[in-house]
Amino acid sequence: MKISKNNVAVAFLAGIVLVLFIATVAGLFLYRKMIENLGEDREESFNEYSRLYAYIAEDPDSKLSIRIYKEISEYAVKNGCYVEMTGQNLSTRYSKADRINIAISSKVDGIILEGDESKETAALIEKATKNGIPVVTVLTDCESSSRKSFVGLNNYSLGTEYGEELAAIGEDKMMYPLSVLILLDRDDGNADDIIHSAIQESVTGRRIVLSTGVVDNSTPFSSEEDVMNILDSLDKIPDVIICLNDRTSESVYQCIVDKNLVGKTTILGYYDSETILKAINKGSVYATFAIQADVVAMQCVNALNEYNDTGFVSEYFGSSYVLINRENVSSYDSEGGTEDV
Amino acid sequence: MFNLIANMKISRKLVAVFLATSIIAMGVNLFIYVNLNHALDKINQVFSSNISLNVLSDNLNQIHQGLTGYLETKGTDDLELYYSSTQSMNMLMNDLNQYVTDNSVKLSERDIRNMIETYLKTADEAIQAKRGRNIDEYTAKYNECTKIKDYLNTYIYSVNNEQFRTNSNNYNALVNSLRYTEVMSMLIFAAASLMNVLLIIILTNTITRPLTRLSAKAEEISQGTPENVEPLEVISEDEVGKVTRAFNEMLASIKDYIARIRTQLITQSEMKEKNLLMETHLKDAQLKYLQSQINPHFLFNTLNAGAQLAMMEGADRTVEYIRNMADFFRYNVKKNSENVKLSEEIELVDSYVYILNVRYAGEILFEKEIDESLLNVMVPSMIIQPLVENSIKYGIKDLEPGEGKITLSVYREGDNCCIRVSDNGIGTDEDIIEKIMSNEKKPSETRGVGITNVMERLDLHYNNKEVFEIKSKKNEGTQVTIKIPMEAGNV
Repeated sequence: MKISKNNVAVAFLAGIVLVLFIATVAGLFLYRKMIENLGEDREESFNEYSRLYAYIAEDPDSKLSIRIYKEISEYAVKNGCYVEMTGQNLSTRYSKADRINIAISSKVDGIILEGDESKETAALIEKATKNGIPVVTVLTDCESSSRKSFVGLNNYSLGTEYGEELAAIGEDKMMYPLSVLILLDRDDGNADDIIHSAIQESVTGRRIVLSTGVVDNSTPFSSEEDVMNILDSLDKIPDVIICLNDRTSESVYQCIVDKNLVGKTTILGYYDSETILKAINKGSVYATFAIQADVVAMQCVNALNEYNDTGFVSEYFGSSYVLINRENVSSYDSEGGTEDV
Repeated sequence: MFNLIANMKISRKLVAVFLATSIIAMGVNLFIYVNLNHALDKINQVFSSNISLNVLSDNLNQIHQGLTGYLETKGTDDLELYYSSTQSMNMLMNDLNQYVTDNSVKLSERDIRNMIETYLKTADEAIQAKRGRNIDEYTAKYNECTKIKDYLNTYIYSVNNEQFRTNSNNYNALVNSLRYTEVMSMLIFAAASLMNVLLIIILTNTITRPLTRLSAKAEEISQGTPENVEPLEVISEDEVGKVTRAFNEMLASIKDYIARIRTQLITQSEMKEKNLLMETHLKDAQLKYLQSQINPHFLFNTLNAGAQLAMMEGADRTVEYIRNMADFFRYNVKKNSENVKLSEEIELVDSYVYILNVRYAGEILFEKEIDESLLNVMVPSMIIQPLVENSIKYGIKDLEPGEGKITLSVYREGDNCCIRVSDNGIGTDEDIIEKIMSNEKKPSETRGVGITNVMERLDLHYNNKEVFEIKSKKNEGTQVTIKIPMEAGNV
């Protein structure tokens, strides 16, 4: 058959029509799919877990608590359970007791609690136990309660290490007698007392004078004000200030900077927040003791899992602190990394 | 597919074009409409989770209201409210997630669900305690319930907020997607419209293309050479296809007709040629016949013998006479069928007149008026003598002896050499002249074989040109003129 120009043109047009048809159909299906996908953010994929644990911190906003919660939830997820920080992201701020209550009434599978020695807490732990919810205390214990286990830090050894650092500072500066201010946490029960007495023990026989101040950390803004008040009430700025709380450490550092006292006093901090690490780098903070948050987190989750699986768990899990000073700060990763001294 | 379309009737093709394009447009419209509706539905559903949470919260408050009322007054209405609200709460609770997930909203839903369960359990215990009139216990339980209710409201409020934020984001995404929808619809519409236009072009083309071809062919035929036009290929079986077929048949019959006419013309011209040839042959035969009538061979030979005899006997005038006669016949023998010089023809006439004068004892007066320059003009032989013979035989025969006079004139008239033979005899009748001229008169009826023969020969020789003229007046004589065209070769 002869192929005329006309036939070629018709074939060409037919080709275009075919392509357009396919494009239109494809477009329609793409469009359909797009419409289907609308609002899928709401139905986003999520994972399910077999157990839910509640983490109840003394101060949910403190960097230490946030850090520990982060470590705990990361480790928990790896072990098939989920940890929620009860009371967070709510429109109302609840007290620790309320948060424990919430955790109990929402029937969690276990509670990781920053304990204290109050009777109220002990009663709530009792209530949880009655409801079949095991409680593991962390950082600070509630010895008088029916908590299943305590994941703690060796506060005595921490106090001893503080004492050793004080001796080192004294030798370094040759400034005797060395006046030291220890800022204790009001709500921390006997943990701070243990530290205090350990420090005292370790500096006995040296020309180091210890004094204490109590900082109220119960509300978010009180810490800084208290620190300022304590420092203002002193006639002379102490040679060393020991902070036993992460927020106190930062508040003291900020006060010293504001009062232009950098170099006139030495800060021994607590916790490895970014601000403190920076301050160590600059020399404004002498050293800090950091918690091995990942170890603590692992111990908490393991303790609860173990109890839920077997009904028994060891009563105490201990972990030590890490000293961070100017020599090793550069190799220390603030969020999560640890390096033993 | 193309064949199917090509073979459709034009009306159906048109319907197919409109149907196809309309269906495409309608389909696209419908699709977009359905999807748009779907999108709008989704938008409407966006805040439904907020609404259901609010219902949950209201229900919880009703339960608590019922509980409080019952604990305060032990009112049955309150208890009824409590139970009915609890019942609907149990149903509402089923919509809440009960699994541990890492999705904060889902997890909060689980917490709410469990807290409601705890609440309901505690509330039930409070009611039991109320029935047992254990004031301390139901007060404690009630306080617990109030606390849990407070937690629940906070949770619901927070989840509501959270969901409202997510839903608002979704709402924004949906509204944005509507804008995409608009663009997409435009694009799809544009594509479909373009497709429709192309479809129309293609289908219209299948209708008009055969028509265009047909009209082109018709124009080709109208150029005047239908025999070179090839028949059209029939593409479709629609009306145009039928017209094309008819057109091809018409073209074939035109070609056939032309061929037949051509054959006919050729046959006709062949026949004409044959006729002419036959006529020529006839003429030739007639000429030969006429010439043979004046065959003088025998006489010539006889006369030569007579002349020799007379010479031997010393009869000079007889010799002269017989020689003239011999010349006359020799000429006839020699020039029987050829062209001769005019001078030779005149000599022949001289001999003839001499012979006759001997025979009629000088009764014929013969005069010549000759333009000498024309003597070499070539003429057919034996054309003048028969005229002179006729003049003698029919013109001056009956005149008194010595009165008859014949004049031969040769003169130039334009491009013609005119040879005129005139006598003063009795003349010829008009009708006889007419008959001679129209070649109707048989030789025997006219002024003899001679004049008719001359006329016919001249006719043949000069292709029927009017070279022959006869004029006559009663009793004043006859004048015959031959006009020889002096063309190349005649001189």
